[in-house]
Amino acid sequence: MTKKSSVVGARSAADWKKSEHHGAGTWLAERLSSLALVPLTLWGAWAAFSIAGGGYDGAVAFVRSPFNAGLLAITIILAAWHMYMGVRVVLEDYFSKEEGRGVYILLTFLLCAAVVIASLGGIYCVYSHTAIAGA
Amino acid sequence: MSPESLKTSATPRRPMSPHLQIWRWHITMAGSILHRATGIASVAGAVAVAAWLVCLALGPDTYAVFLAYAKSPLGLLVWFGLSLAGFVHLTGGLRHMIWDLGGALQPRTASTLTAWSLILGVLLTVAFWAWLFVSGKVSL
Repeated sequence: MTKKSSVVGARSAADWKKSEHHGAGTWLAERLSSLALVPLTLWGAWAAFSIAGGGYDGAVAFVRSPFNAGLLAITIILAAWHMYMGVRVVLEDYFSKEEGRGVYILLTFLLCAAVVIASLGGIYCVYSHTAIAGA
Repeated sequence: MSPESLKTSATPRRPMSPHLQIWRWHITMAGSILHRATGIASVAGAVAVAAWLVCLALGPDTYAVFLAYAKSPLGLLVWFGLSLAGFVHLTGGLRHMIWDLGGALQPRTASTLTAWSLILGVLLTVAFWAWLFVSGKVSL
């Protein structure tokens, strides 16, 4: 290993590579989240279709079904995780550390987290008949 | 050259992805760029879904404001764009799964697969909206 790095230079694969399996978790998470999102987003399209034109009462009735509320929550959590991983890959490709890559990745994480928190909060309030103060 | 001088000349910057303007156009490259673009556009779709749920939780009055925007011609155009991004990203994802499984990796088959994934994404979007309009759930 040291022999190799002295020939190639300080940044050879041997220097940064931790193991054959390093990074496999991310790769797998990307694939598994997209695999799960295939049926979930198709269900989401069907959900959007059934809610369309139904007004407030129709949308509330939809979210108050335990099956719909649960599936909606799972879809949003997995989509947000998938979004974070995907946007992160794009940012890593186009921005160096000096150009603020870390800050952009952090902002992406915060946006994805905000989507999850707002959505789950909304589902919870509708599902549990909780009135939000002032509304 | 000594290893030391190699080090200083070779280390400053890691190579970055090729930027968009240096590519010659071909369909797998367009599919790759579109997959990223539709993925990023789908982030806006997720924000819209979150906004929908928050407005619903805020009660009938707030939801009426949300619906007024969502049902307007401009709102429908936005939903159309978001659904197009979502469906094209979905079929693009299926294309990547086929590639991950080792299928359609020859230049010719890869191009054909990319073309079909784009066509299917557009067809799903058109079918979805035709269904919405024909059933009378959405109208202009």
